[in-house]
Amino acid sequence: MKTDDLIRAMAADMDHPRPVTETLLLGLVPALALAAFGLWAGLGFRGDLFAAMLTPLSVMRLVLGLVLGFAALRLALVLARPEGSAQARLWPLAAIAAFAVGLLAWAYLTTPADARQMATLGKSMVTCLVTIPLMSVLPVSSVLYALRQGAPTAPARAGLVAGLTGSGFSAALYALHCTEDSPLFYVTWYGLAIIGVTLVSTLVGARALRW
Amino acid sequence: MADQTDVWGQLLTAANAGDARSYARFLQAVTPVLRGVVRAKGGSLGAAECEDVLQEVMLAIHLKRHTWQPDAPVRPWLYAITRYKVVDAFRARGRRIDLPIEDFADVLPAEAGADPTEAADMAKMIGMLDGRSAEIVRKIGMEGAGVAETGQALNMSEGAVRVALHRALKTLAILRERHVK
Repeated sequence: MKTDDLIRAMAADMDHPRPVTETLLLGLVPALALAAFGLWAGLGFRGDLFAAMLTPLSVMRLVLGLVLGFAALRLALVLARPEGSAQARLWPLAAIAAFAVGLLAWAYLTTPADARQMATLGKSMVTCLVTIPLMSVLPVSSVLYALRQGAPTAPARAGLVAGLTGSGFSAALYALHCTEDSPLFYVTWYGLAIIGVTLVSTLVGARALRW
Repeated sequence: MADQTDVWGQLLTAANAGDARSYARFLQAVTPVLRGVVRAKGGSLGAAECEDVLQEVMLAIHLKRHTWQPDAPVRPWLYAITRYKVVDAFRARGRRIDLPIEDFADVLPAEAGADPTEAADMAKMIGMLDGRSAEIVRKIGMEGAGVAETGQALNMSEGAVRVALHRALKTLAILRERHVK
């Protein structure tokens, strides 16, 4: 087949796929709603949710998760375009991580020495480490699916931001259930859960996002 | 150069809005430039194989054209796809190449040679499609038939021809990937 013939065939194909932004939001929003519903049905929201929303340190978990989710989502939309790998700047993610580590250090210094261990280990470390990754499965998959419809030229980096988007939002949602309000707990264990999910998503992305 | 880019952008905008003629003109306009890029990098591959790589790039541009944003310049988008696919195609053929984006500026457009650079692989790939899809691609591509005409000849609705054509092009892209690797 000559290239001119191929061009003719392609020009006759006017089937136009949906823009990636639409695909992404159409998948991610329901996926997060399902994750929230699953959390509510399985573990329930914390009883003192309204009171907790007035406690800055408790709200900070939610804010951090949301900020991470939105920053990563923005990067995912950039990396979905072929020229995006040359444009995407990852420093906002590093800034969020640095802020979280700062918060952890501050909590360590302000928590009395004999209370540190209890605050860090908490009572629900295992639940947290299991639930956040579980809640992340659908959201991360939906972002990876949307990226596959795009044209990412840096598949591993695209997988990384997909993982951070899904797990960041999921961690924020999990905060609706979790009653551990010390940064010693949540920066450590939420952080570990997010890192784990992101690591897997990066590896999946590096293979599955090639085209 | 700037004018040319504007034209490409206008054509692609019209194409993405559903104007088949603008789309054909866009593809015809970028083909010589992209052929130049492939030839400059893959001289040792031979003209036919270069044309094959070019067709792989063209298919990718076609299947990913919705990732272009109308307010973004065309060139960086086009070159990023080309670079990704060319590096990929050469790797699949056992060659490592380095293709910095800056190199694209120096490339001279290349027309198809006087002898028809029929890409051998593509013919093989079309043979691997199911009978009806292959027939549709041949009729529209090689014989220049319209969608309506093809539908009548194959006793299919226009809509069905369009869907089948889109699937066929997608399948071709996948087959090429698998075949070369």
